[in-house]
Amino acid sequence: MTSATRPALPAASERRRSGSIAWHVGALAVLAVVLYPVIWVVGASFKPSKDIIAGLDLLPAEPVWENFSGLADGISGISISSFFWNSLVYAVLAVAGVVLSSSLTAYAFAKIRFAGRNLLFTLMIGTLLLPYHVLLIPQYVLFRNLELTDTLVPLVAGKFLATEAFFVFLMVQFMRGLPRELDEAARLDGCGHLRTYWSIVLPLSRPAIITSAIFTFINAWNDFMGPLIYLNTPEKYTVSLGLMMFRDQEGISDYGSMIAMSLVALVPVIAFFMAFQRYLIDGMATSGLKG
Amino acid sequence: MQQGGNVERRTILKAAGASLAVAGLGATATACGGGSGSGDGTVTIRYAWWGGEPRTIAIRKTIALFEKKFPKIKVKPEFTDYEAFWEKFQTQASGGNPPDVFQNAVGFLRKYDKRGVLLDLKTQADAGHLSLENFRNGVLANGQVDGKQIAVPVGANTMALVIDLNAFEKAGVDATFGWTWDEYFDALQTIQDKLKIAGDTGYFSIMYLYDLYLRQNGKAFFTDTDLGFTEDDLTEWWEDGFKRVKSGLVADPKKVEQVKPKSALSAGLAASEFTWDNFSIRYEGEGESDYGLAPIPTTDGKNTGQYLGSLMLSGFSGTKHPEEVAQFIDFMVHDPEVGEIMGYDRGLLATTEQYEAFEPTDPSNKGVAAYEEEVAAAGVLGKITPHPSGADVIEAAFLRIGGEVAQGRTRPADAAKALFSEAKAAFAG
Repeated sequence: MTSATRPALPAASERRRSGSIAWHVGALAVLAVVLYPVIWVVGASFKPSKDIIAGLDLLPAEPVWENFSGLADGISGISISSFFWNSLVYAVLAVAGVVLSSSLTAYAFAKIRFAGRNLLFTLMIGTLLLPYHVLLIPQYVLFRNLELTDTLVPLVAGKFLATEAFFVFLMVQFMRGLPRELDEAARLDGCGHLRTYWSIVLPLSRPAIITSAIFTFINAWNDFMGPLIYLNTPEKYTVSLGLMMFRDQEGISDYGSMIAMSLVALVPVIAFFMAFQRYLIDGMATSGLKG
Repeated sequence: MQQGGNVERRTILKAAGASLAVAGLGATATACGGGSGSGDGTVTIRYAWWGGEPRTIAIRKTIALFEKKFPKIKVKPEFTDYEAFWEKFQTQASGGNPPDVFQNAVGFLRKYDKRGVLLDLKTQADAGHLSLENFRNGVLANGQVDGKQIAVPVGANTMALVIDLNAFEKAGVDATFGWTWDEYFDALQTIQDKLKIAGDTGYFSIMYLYDLYLRQNGKAFFTDTDLGFTEDDLTEWWEDGFKRVKSGLVADPKKVEQVKPKSALSAGLAASEFTWDNFSIRYEGEGESDYGLAPIPTTDGKNTGQYLGSLMLSGFSGTKHPEEVAQFIDFMVHDPEVGEIMGYDRGLLATTEQYEAFEPTDPSNKGVAAYEEEVAAAGVLGKITPHPSGADVIEAAFLRIGGEVAQGRTRPADAAKALFSEAKAAFAG
């Protein structure tokens, strides 16, 4: 817009500006609603434990550090850092398992023609319809008979065996979208399936892999039922189980420490997302045929 | 393709490494799991309980004490909060892998006895591994089902009315032993008129209180296999309750919901609340006022219908070490030092050895002890009535459906019908 045209169209310009202001105000209002719980948690973590459930104030009148410093003492004789370490090991193994096994399985479904492929694919999708609760007890009995309870194996074994059908499906759909010419060219250059998978399809599937990795990390980090059922020794508990220890139905719950720990527990999830989201966008931009 | 071959090999190696890692985790598991005997005759038993941090710290001290006196028995603690505990226990029981010893409550006894999960401690007592003597006020009966001793009480508690002492004083009303329901509701009316707060937080949704009311009238909440009252009885109970919500005598259920997890009593919404006496320490921690224990209202001016309930210890019927489990339970319920460490955390100590070993010093615990002594001295303590399999589910349903009545979402008659049909399903399950 030049200065010469501005006086000529005052009404239109005015309208555009007020429209833009309304749009921004609206967007900020939605943002406030979305961020409110986060701000509440941050505020509550600096309140004395008693005020958290009593007051309606969003922010503490006088911020206190005791909720965070209290975490250093641990809970019931267990240090808080062990919960974080256990969750981290679980989440990292889960991500490694899902990425390796799902992408390999997806490659087979997307790029190899073999007898019964469609039937197997349908069956795999069918497992998505099985509710978790149906599998709970049979799985528990299985791992119990293998004497693997109270270890991470029951939690991550399935992830290494491509049982996360949703992520397999996601990757299959993505790989089907990759131009066939690429793997045909690789074949002509003498690549076998493993080489094609490793050097051609896997790098190009980066967006799907990153998406799966982020979701797997968050799911594992937040998983409550799995660790609750399988882990017995309190020293092996994950963050989600550790948080429950602050509750006391018969006495006084320590809400301050619980909320402080929830806040700290958000950090790895956010960090993981931050670290990988740029690859996500990067991957989107570079996939497919160039030139 | 020289290079290609390398890459492939590397890929395979990585994949193999990953599966080895999984297998490796498994190997460690087998090494330290299992928990059975090792070469030198040492056995490991798993001990699980629910509760907050103070209980856990105390129990861990008692475990250390036990391990010192019984060096051949190692105890592996497992603990979490109440809801998570039972969720986990249900799966473990179905999968044949519950802990060797665990905390238990009366509502779960028949449920898990029916599934054959609970160890009969009577045979262990007969074999001399465990003493069933010296239990106070007959609480040992709490752990008996069909002639079997499937749990042993560690503490005793009873229902009480927790009152806001300042509110009662300001309104000039008194809670006296043997007062009737009419006198109780009159007192609440005076409080409401003078202080403009509700009298009670929602008495009619508490299964254990309705049980007391029924016992005052010669019935009980449960029989061995069924509910011990009629749909009409319950409809009347809930109609009266809803009337009192509308008149403001009972606190507005919406507000009660809003202040959760804080109790409506400690939030100052009402002046009294019925609960188990050993839960009463929470009010001092949560609220601004002073709180005390008051007697349960009666129908005939004497009988409160009260009995002693208990937290208990049970063993797993499939444990590999029943003898050690019995020795452990024996130590935990009889050893005076354990009593000193635990205090009244799980109710007044159940055996005379432990009860005499602990002298309460803080006002809350002193209050609980004085209260239970008063109730026992009044001679109103009755025998505990059965809790059939499914009692735990029905308790939760009673609370939920009672809440719907309070909010006016369900008519009392429909609510009573709903409870009866849910109870039927729970008994069958």
